Amino acid sequence: MNALRRLLAIIRESMASARSQPVASVVSIIMVAGMCATVLLTTGRTVGAEQAVLGSIDSAGTRAVVVRAEAGAGLNTAVLQRLANVDGIEWAGAFGTAHDVQNAAFEGGTRVPVRLAYGDKVNQLTGSLPVPNSSALASKLALEQLGMADEVGGVLSDTGADYAITGRIDVPDYLQFLEPLVIVPQDEAANATSVPVSVLVVIAARPDLVAPVSQAVISVLAVDDVSKVKLSTSESLAKLRALVEGQLGSFGRNLVVVIFALTAVLVAAILYGLVMLRRKDFGRRRALGASQGLIVGLLLTQMVVLSIIGAVVGSVGAAIGLVSTGDPLPGWDFFSAVGILAVITGLVAALIPALAAARRDPLKELRVP
Amino acid sequence: MTTKLLEARGITFGYGHNAEILTGWDATFSAGEVVAITGPSGRGKSTLLYLLGLMLKPGAGQVLIEGADVAGLADARRAALRASRFGFVFQDAALDATRTVLDNVIETALYRGEPREGAKRRALELMGQFGVDLRASHKPGQVSGGQAQRIALCRALLNNPRILLADEPTGNLDPASATIVVDAMRNQAHGGGTVVVATHDPALVARCDRVITL
Repeated sequence: MNALRRLLAIIRESMASARSQPVASVVSIIMVAGMCATVLLTTGRTVGAEQAVLGSIDSAGTRAVVVRAEAGAGLNTAVLQRLANVDGIEWAGAFGTAHDVQNAAFEGGTRVPVRLAYGDKVNQLTGSLPVPNSSALASKLALEQLGMADEVGGVLSDTGADYAITGRIDVPDYLQFLEPLVIVPQDEAANATSVPVSVLVVIAARPDLVAPVSQAVISVLAVDDVSKVKLSTSESLAKLRALVEGQLGSFGRNLVVVIFALTAVLVAAILYGLVMLRRKDFGRRRALGASQGLIVGLLLTQMVVLSIIGAVVGSVGAAIGLVSTGDPLPGWDFFSAVGILAVITGLVAALIPALAAARRDPLKELRVP
Repeated sequence: MTTKLLEARGITFGYGHNAEILTGWDATFSAGEVVAITGPSGRGKSTLLYLLGLMLKPGAGQVLIEGADVAGLADARRAALRASRFGFVFQDAALDATRTVLDNVIETALYRGEPREGAKRRALELMGQFGVDLRASHKPGQVSGGQAQRIALCRALLNNPRILLADEPTGNLDPASATIVVDAMRNQAHGGGTVVVATHDPALVARCDRVITL
């Protein structure tokens, strides 16, 4: 409790000290705000563009490995158990042969394909459903074609099987090729048996793992007839992605380092000048009982408070600037990282001036000239 | 029997490569007395005061507070002692011009880790005694020299210190203000403390119990 009270007292004193020197405080805030805004408007813009480009590449299924098997190929759900032992896989699922279904509520509706879906990770997309092996989820496109505005209803297949549509599924990029999509997730018991499937989708954890994961997938397929299996990957896209990420990322990092270093030097110079102007103040504080640690703590706390204000002002200003020019925003993570780095830069820049302030000689400063 | 509150034993001190200002200096300051340190400029009156007040470390010798040698303590411990056991009055009051008079008076409460509200109450009482309570919300630039020194005195007395050190406290004051300051220092001594004053002021020297000439 005492430590908390003392911390609050130090923060209050630091803020009072900052208020008592409005010009120096405003200059410090402007420096940090300028640093954040410059980084966000240059590197942030680049990062935003990079993320947009990477997003476009990713939407093409950069990390996907897709295996299509014709009837009689011998691809079955046992492959999922073998893939569970392979590192570098983020997601894997298998889908049975498509059967056409139509809305059970009326005759002559549009037919859409339904597929049984296998694999533990299918649940990541669907969640648990009320009736295992009978509940189905449909994509927005499939629901429109089925005429199910309420996103629930029954469907009948050509084979006589019926399923209950219990909701909508947001189709991830890597399953877009299956649209219009209606899937019936299968329970664990079904997953344990070797059921023939026609499509296997494997998502590598990173774009650079697409090639090795593809090799691993080929090695564990264990099909009867290799000529009836076709594997497609996006390795070339993954290479392009790595190239884009590497070049733009490197440019951005170098720019950030230069901007932060320059600002740190400027902030340190301003604070050192401020300490020199206030040397009598620090001498008095030392004489009256402030330890060197407390003087350093007061100045660093003051700079942290000013840096936080500056980081918020700079980030908000840059965000408004980016939005008004129609540029993509770099994302919350990037904003946070720049803000935290700005505060750390302010703290580091204040360290030498703070140490100088703490070492002021009371006798020298308090003697009347 | 008088209580020795502050003692200097064999203190030696010099600045840089210059000759030593003090060599093997001894003195004792007891409860109930006001001691003047006087002498020509450059003889080390202020330096001695700052050595006794633990702002400087002696090259050799000891500074004892109630019998305990404290000269060699680490900075944080000496700072804590300055904040808790000492009161300081400087020649030009040395107030923070950017803060209010009340903030100046309670400044040392932060260094002692003392709650602000209690310090404020005691500060206003002291300021009432010295007739500067109506200036609490003013800035030091808005008060006279005499008022500024009384405010500095309130700051020095906030923790009711047993040792009060004053460096030319009446140097810039008119006679009436000087009398108020000297009376306050005598009261502090008669209340069981000791007061050490570095001064050139003959009127102040005349009202001290003892005089040490450097």
